[in-house]
Amino acid sequence: MAGGQIELGELHWLLDVLQSIDIGLVVLDRDYKVQVWNSFMANHSGLPSRDVISKPFLQVFPDVPEDWFRRKVESVRMLKNRAFTTWEQRPYLLRFKNYRPITGAAEYMFQNITFIPLTSVTGEVEYIGVVINDVTDIAMSRQDLEAANLELAHLSRSDRLSQLNNRGYWEECLQQEFRRLKRTHGPGALVMFDIDHFKKVNDTYGHPAGDEVIRQTSGRLRETMRNTDIAGRYGGEEFVAILVDTAADGAQIFAERLRSVIAAQTVRHDQHEIRYTISLGVAEMQERIESPKQWIECADRALYEAKHGGRNRVVLYQFPAGV
Amino acid sequence: MPTPVLICDDSSFARKQMARALPKGWDVEVSFAGNGAEALDAIKAGKADILFLDLNMPVMDGYEALAAIRAQDLPTLTIVVSGDIQPEAQARVTQLGAMAFLKKPVGEEEIAQVLTQYGIRGTDKADAAPVQVEVDIRDGYKEVANVAMGQAADFLARLLNVFVLMPVPHVNMIDSADLRMALSAVAVGQNVSAVCQGFIGAGIAGEALLLFHESSFQDIAELTQYQGKIDGNAELELLMDMANILIGACLKGLADQLEVSFSQGPPVVLGRHVQVSDLLKGNTLRWKQTLAIEMGYRIENRKISCDLLLLLTEDSIASLNKRLQYLIG
Repeated sequence: MAGGQIELGELHWLLDVLQSIDIGLVVLDRDYKVQVWNSFMANHSGLPSRDVISKPFLQVFPDVPEDWFRRKVESVRMLKNRAFTTWEQRPYLLRFKNYRPITGAAEYMFQNITFIPLTSVTGEVEYIGVVINDVTDIAMSRQDLEAANLELAHLSRSDRLSQLNNRGYWEECLQQEFRRLKRTHGPGALVMFDIDHFKKVNDTYGHPAGDEVIRQTSGRLRETMRNTDIAGRYGGEEFVAILVDTAADGAQIFAERLRSVIAAQTVRHDQHEIRYTISLGVAEMQERIESPKQWIECADRALYEAKHGGRNRVVLYQFPAGV
Repeated sequence: MPTPVLICDDSSFARKQMARALPKGWDVEVSFAGNGAEALDAIKAGKADILFLDLNMPVMDGYEALAAIRAQDLPTLTIVVSGDIQPEAQARVTQLGAMAFLKKPVGEEEIAQVLTQYGIRGTDKADAAPVQVEVDIRDGYKEVANVAMGQAADFLARLLNVFVLMPVPHVNMIDSADLRMALSAVAVGQNVSAVCQGFIGAGIAGEALLLFHESSFQDIAELTQYQGKIDGNAELELLMDMANILIGACLKGLADQLEVSFSQGPPVVLGRHVQVSDLLKGNTLRWKQTLAIEMGYRIENRKISCDLLLLLTEDSIASLNKRLQYLIG
């Protein structure tokens, strides 16, 4: 191509490159009529160039959003500047099959699109090139990565046996809720409970039975609380729940309901039918509570009293009078 | 008097293609055989002054048939018509007494040329009726696969200077639920490395999947005179080289026969040193059925074996069938 002169022979192989390169290439004239349609486009669309050349692109492909497409093309023409769209904005310009239709995970081809202004000798943009890149593999790895990260986040926050929040993450949530309540002065309550005579369950029926009791207890807790409440497994047989926007009376109703549901149920494991109860301590948020730690201590104190008062009951923490 | 001509090929599609390519107006009496053993019977019955003989066939293949013809001194002139076009295959059949060797798919002109060359064409008959052959479309898939496979084997044979053994390809419709099982059956108990490459064109879309048996790396390295240690990188290099040759040649062979051209995506390594059953683990397959064409390659006197599978989408079949119909008129 020395001196800008293209010989006929060169033109031939240059066109061959454009035809056979594994990238979609379309050229549109001012009326959006197709001027170039390379083999990538023909093969993936199933439309040979004779069916497309000189036809209005938007009529051949009515699924392409016309306003969006025209806006892109006109801005490229006016500014003589390239425009890009990525698969994240819009998965595809034309819906093509996945290049690997059998083993590929994606249903269709994800595409990055580049619009290129093609200027004539007079400097006018007479044609617009549209380049389609197959980025399905990139899109799929990105989606896999995001799914894996979500799963990892879930794993790092949850307790495997109970599927509740683990202690570490639950304490973070408690910090957050405590700070929020300090600012809003709204109502809030903390419930702490444990399974009565849990050691006996393990000793009598074995640890797998004990695990099943933990699972069932967590299940009842999840069913009884609201979506916005935050439950966690605090220790071996010890559970906690932050009841958001809930004052003492509401928290007591919640605790009492959970207590009666657990007391009424029978857990079956192997041939055993296991019945058990829980004791619960409730502590309402008050201005005088100065730290999440102190709030937990209040709930723990109430739980202690429930145990000593004979178990299978709910105790509300009583703040010392006059302080 | 019409010349008795015998066409021996296991594929009904190939028999029809061959019969169609006989010179128009040549006064012949055409019979057919599905393997070498049937051909020997037909020759003995005087039905084969001229024998068009395929090489890869079940029961008795073309090489065995040629050997038997020579041993029993049977009266026939044999023209081998083969998808296996390796130089070594040509040399072997010539040595076994074949008069000529034609590459599949065979054209009218090539046949006419050979017949003229050997002074065979005698009397013409003006109103020769076209020969009727019943064709099973699956034989068509098998035949184009066989020819494509032969072109790939020829590349490999010339590159490595070896003789590639080519069994008859298998053609099956496979449910997505059974694909893993079908793959496992290809390489039982073996660890494999797998590369796949998508292709699409003229309404035909699919994937070429190369399963390379683990035990083959050392021999391939020797044959390609690979210098240096065979570590993970070297293996990947060898694997990709094999994939390029076999998939590229096979797809080109297929496209040429169907008179289409395919776009080919980049090759993707599906797994290395894994059980075949683990290759597609975790993939949700979105299709119901695939047309699977399985081609096994072995290299004579070497521990090299690999399988090339062409998996075509269900919606490709209509277009494929249409193009196969063109080939046999």
